[in-house]
Amino acid sequence: MYSRHAQRITPGNKPGKMASRKEGTGSTATSSSSTTGGAGKGKGKGGSGDSAVKQVQIDGLVVLKIIKHYQEEGQGTEVVQGVLLGLVVEDRLEITNCFPFPQHTEDDADFDEVQYQMEMMRSLRHVNIDHLHVGWYQSTYYGSFVTRALLDSQFSYQHAIEESVVLIYDPIKTAQGSLSLKAYRLTPKLMEVCKEKDFSPEALKKANITFEYMFEEVPIVIKNSHLINVLMWELEKKSAVADKHELLSLASSNHLGKNLQLLMDRVDEMSQDIVKYNTYMRNTSKQQQQKHQYQQRRQQENMQRQSRGEPPLPEEDLSKLFKPPQPPARMDSLLIAGQINTYCQNIKEFTAQNLGKLFMAQALQEYNN
Amino acid sequence: MSRFFTTGSDSESESSLSGEELVTKPVGGNYGKQPLLLSEDEEDTKRVVRSAKDKRFEELTNLIRTIRNAMKIRDVTKCLEEFELLGKAYGKAKSIVDKEGVPRFYIRILADLEDYLNELWEDKEGKKKMNKNNAKALSTLRQKIRKYNRDFESHITSYKQNPEQSADEDAEKNEEDSEGSSDEDEDEDGVSAATFLKKKSEAPSGESRKFLKKMDDEDEDSEDSEDDEDWDTGSTSSDSDSEEEEGKQTALASRFLKKAPTTDEDKKAAEKKREDKAKKKHDRKSKRLDEEEEDNEGGEWERVRGGVPLVKEKPKMFAKGTEITHAVVIKKLNEILQARGKKGTDRAAQIELLQLLVQIAAENNLGEGVIVKIKFNIIASLYDYNPNLATYMKPEMWGKCLDCINELMDILFANPNIFVGENILEESENLHNADQPLRVRGCILTLVERMDEEFTKIMQNTDPHSQEYVEHLKDEAQVCAIIERVQRYLEEKGTTEEVCRIYLLRILHTYYKFDYKAHQRQLTPPEGSSKSEQDQAENEGEDSAVLMERLCKYIYAKDRTDRIRTCAILCHIYHHALHSRWYQARDLMLMSHLQDNIQHADPPVQILYNRTMVQLGICAFRQGLTKDAHNALLDIQSSGRAKELLGQGLLLRSLQERNQEQEKVERRRQVPFHLHINLELLECVYLVSAMLLEIPYMAAHESDARRRMISKQFHHQLRVGERQPLLGPPESMREHVVAASKAMKMGDWKTCHSFIINEKMNGKVWDLFPEADKVRTMLVRKIQEESLRTYLFTYSSVYDSISMETLSDMFELDLPTVHSIISKMIINEELMASLDQPTQTVVMHRTEPTAQQNLALQLAEKLGSLVENNERVFDHKQGTYGGYFRDQKDGYRKNEGYMRRGGYRQQPSQTAY
Repeated sequence: MYSRHAQRITPGNKPGKMASRKEGTGSTATSSSSTTGGAGKGKGKGGSGDSAVKQVQIDGLVVLKIIKHYQEEGQGTEVVQGVLLGLVVEDRLEITNCFPFPQHTEDDADFDEVQYQMEMMRSLRHVNIDHLHVGWYQSTYYGSFVTRALLDSQFSYQHAIEESVVLIYDPIKTAQGSLSLKAYRLTPKLMEVCKEKDFSPEALKKANITFEYMFEEVPIVIKNSHLINVLMWELEKKSAVADKHELLSLASSNHLGKNLQLLMDRVDEMSQDIVKYNTYMRNTSKQQQQKHQYQQRRQQENMQRQSRGEPPLPEEDLSKLFKPPQPPARMDSLLIAGQINTYCQNIKEFTAQNLGKLFMAQALQEYNN
Repeated sequence: MSRFFTTGSDSESESSLSGEELVTKPVGGNYGKQPLLLSEDEEDTKRVVRSAKDKRFEELTNLIRTIRNAMKIRDVTKCLEEFELLGKAYGKAKSIVDKEGVPRFYIRILADLEDYLNELWEDKEGKKKMNKNNAKALSTLRQKIRKYNRDFESHITSYKQNPEQSADEDAEKNEEDSEGSSDEDEDEDGVSAATFLKKKSEAPSGESRKFLKKMDDEDEDSEDSEDDEDWDTGSTSSDSDSEEEEGKQTALASRFLKKAPTTDEDKKAAEKKREDKAKKKHDRKSKRLDEEEEDNEGGEWERVRGGVPLVKEKPKMFAKGTEITHAVVIKKLNEILQARGKKGTDRAAQIELLQLLVQIAAENNLGEGVIVKIKFNIIASLYDYNPNLATYMKPEMWGKCLDCINELMDILFANPNIFVGENILEESENLHNADQPLRVRGCILTLVERMDEEFTKIMQNTDPHSQEYVEHLKDEAQVCAIIERVQRYLEEKGTTEEVCRIYLLRILHTYYKFDYKAHQRQLTPPEGSSKSEQDQAENEGEDSAVLMERLCKYIYAKDRTDRIRTCAILCHIYHHALHSRWYQARDLMLMSHLQDNIQHADPPVQILYNRTMVQLGICAFRQGLTKDAHNALLDIQSSGRAKELLGQGLLLRSLQERNQEQEKVERRRQVPFHLHINLELLECVYLVSAMLLEIPYMAAHESDARRRMISKQFHHQLRVGERQPLLGPPESMREHVVAASKAMKMGDWKTCHSFIINEKMNGKVWDLFPEADKVRTMLVRKIQEESLRTYLFTYSSVYDSISMETLSDMFELDLPTVHSIISKMIINEELMASLDQPTQTVVMHRTEPTAQQNLALQLAEKLGSLVENNERVFDHKQGTYGGYFRDQKDGYRKNEGYMRRGGYRQQPSQTAY
């Protein structure tokens, strides 16, 4: 029953998981060799220069630990989270270790996370491991990580520890052959807005925030010790070719379908949000009109009174008379827009790669024939 | 006593008053209270009018006699018992005693008893001989009587001083008694003195017995009312009955002795009565005189007997010698009817009385008018018997009622000159004038309707699975027969309105019955004339279809109340549907436009409507019209309250929500079991139709985001099926359908077929249809067709082309059918393919979008709406007012229009050039 259930919910997940298990051993090789690629990918949209951290350097151990954590505890849409430890060197954030947060269920509501973190860090310090808190990591399901929860917790991290980052690990993409690990930080602008806690349309407009400038991606470098690198080279030589070419898999429909589905959901949400905003706008304008009419009437009356020699009516507080409708918080729509953006990026990337693969396959076929 | 008979003719009661020594209570004071009024012509010979005092004293004397007997045989135990009873009886008589003084005989027995006991006590030897019980009783009795007599000391001493006087009195009384009896002898055609005496003594005992019984009832507050009731029962139950009872209940030997003679006497009395009557008729003129005479006689007679015993007799309607005339009988009838509905009226007694009255009327040849009149009232009081409308009549009572109605109908048919009607006023009734047509107030139709209602109630309240129910159901034929008779009668005499009502009643008893005979006839059309003759004999009576047609058409044409017409239409549709005349049924339903306004009808009609719809749906299903079947059943089934909607039971869920009152009302609305529509059959028909519709639809719209469910209930069942952790072989009907649906989804029609039609399902569902085999063949074919469609929808994407022959083999359908199905699919653009005639293949066009393409299309649609919404926001930003953009748009359009007009203007100018 259970397995059936699971299968039904995430039909596309199982093969991915299996593949990524294989990945656990082999991926470090590719990722370490493609460190530069990873860094290159992170063009850093928010890389405006005023950020405290310019580069994130991740220890291979951390990557493995994160992957392992998801392998063991992540299930479908559930996400796993953990704490990153390390230290800042110049404008480079070095992440040298991490530990997971335990999955906590409803039963142990009294579980104290902060307490647990402190305990962990203290224990790690005893064994001479870097114990500075430099951020956190989270797994994601098809790149759907741009949420309010992430924003809030990243804000509190960044508020407390200025240089902290969030690492997003996408297990599904990883399963397709390339490690997907990205480091994000909130842009200073967004930090400002979050500090104000004012998400009204005006405030956001004033802050000149758009979905593109919410998060900045920080380039990642995965660093291994030389010994490990040597081992890797050796392993790569030994491994069969087929093992490392999930990358060449032509199956695309599942992933694409999933992404489209998610994208559609977000678009729906966006639509709703816009409708909400629309009604708000209509209400405001209607009220404006009423206000205007009221003022005119008052003015006319006053004119009449004046002509009759009576004192004008006292000015009343218009804002009390016409309470402006509650403006909808725009942050949600911003986030949704951000999320849609991520999906689009994902799809674009995916289709581009797939097209390439398809052409390659076609060429091969023709060549063989 | 006189109170019971109340109102007795003045002269009579006066005379009895004057004549009777011992009458003490004023008679007049009670007149008003009398609930049950018997004939005023009552005569003393027949009815003994007794005061409370008489009764009490009778009781006492009776006990005293027993004590004396016991004294004679030295049975002290008996003495003790009786003495105790005597004490009690005396206590009851206290109020009278207070007025009258202590009666002599009472004192005498006390004195005698004491003396006797003392004697016994002194007699040592005798005492020794006595058995233990007696000895013990003796001592207790002695002590008791001593104590008791202390209260009466003065009386006893005075008695002892002057015993003769009392004795004399006693003797005198006895003398008088015998005199009276001899009088009666003459009067009553030789009832012997002995019997009379016995009777005399018996009557009081009966009285006392009843009295005691009554005392047990706590609700009796006044003695008067008790008396009244005593008399009611006494007077109504026939003699022999009451006497037998008495015989049983009184242990005294003397009672038994009396039994034989009394019955004898009864007969004689009856005879006498008849004779009297004959005599009376004979000399009508001298009636008044006679009566007076009799009064005198009665008076004398009464006086003689004094306060003691009374004649115990069959309650008679009329005084002996009264001439039974119409006026008298009607008067009596009215008397009886006046008591109707009053508190404390014995309803059973009333019925008895009325029946007696009918007998009398019949015996005296009073004419049918009177009898009809009385019969009406009997039936009415039978209905009244149950005070509570909610409870049902006892079947026996109902049976009586049936008989009565039958008799009544007999009379009415035999006498076409009797007019019966509700609108005939009491005053304008003509019950006996033979010259003019007889007119009687009363409505046979109402009676029959009520009878039918009661029948329904009886059926509702009988356990449908018991033998009893079957027994009751047998009565249905009788009910139908009566309705038919009434119908015939009313067709001749009734107004159209009444005819409509009786027709409806007839329809209601016809519409739900499947006409097997007609069905049989249809199946075997007459081959030879010789055979058909035989058939005709068998098939007497018209087809129910013809009958329904005739009745309903009459109602459609003549009825003015909407309700009857609505019911008739519904029944007609139901009947059509039941007999598989789908198109007639459907057309009638559509023409009647009942769907539009049925919600304004009252619940019973709504229930009938629901039943009709369901029957219609089932009929459609039998015809293989799954879509119609589904639509007809959708409303009933989707609510999940089919049981309630069809009036076939109450839902437990809503039990808490309604109060007792509502529940009762709802209970009354229930349809009797024999009219029920099998709910499982209903659900199965619905689910199978839903399956036949939904599965191909689901296959066709698998990737359509906006597809709708055709049947929620069916989906629910599917989901329930999916949720099963372990799928065993299907057990219930639903499981079968779910399993079949799954098979059909794969295009596997054989498995589907085996799930839908198998032993289990046959037993549960299919065999319930009148033409089960036909239905099954239809079903198989439907399954094959729909499976084929499903198969094509599901797997068309994996085929480039497919041979129709293969398909026809796969689904065991012949080629033309396959061809037509596929053609239909292509025409309806359900299947993107074309037929290749020479090779008999279907060539797929493969234009169906893939899943991704579908998603992309959906996404595009959504984005479109998003953009639209977004633009609206933009509109707001543009204009100061909400209407800005629209104005602008209009303006734009106007411009366009202007331009066009301009263009138009140019044209003619061009042509003009």
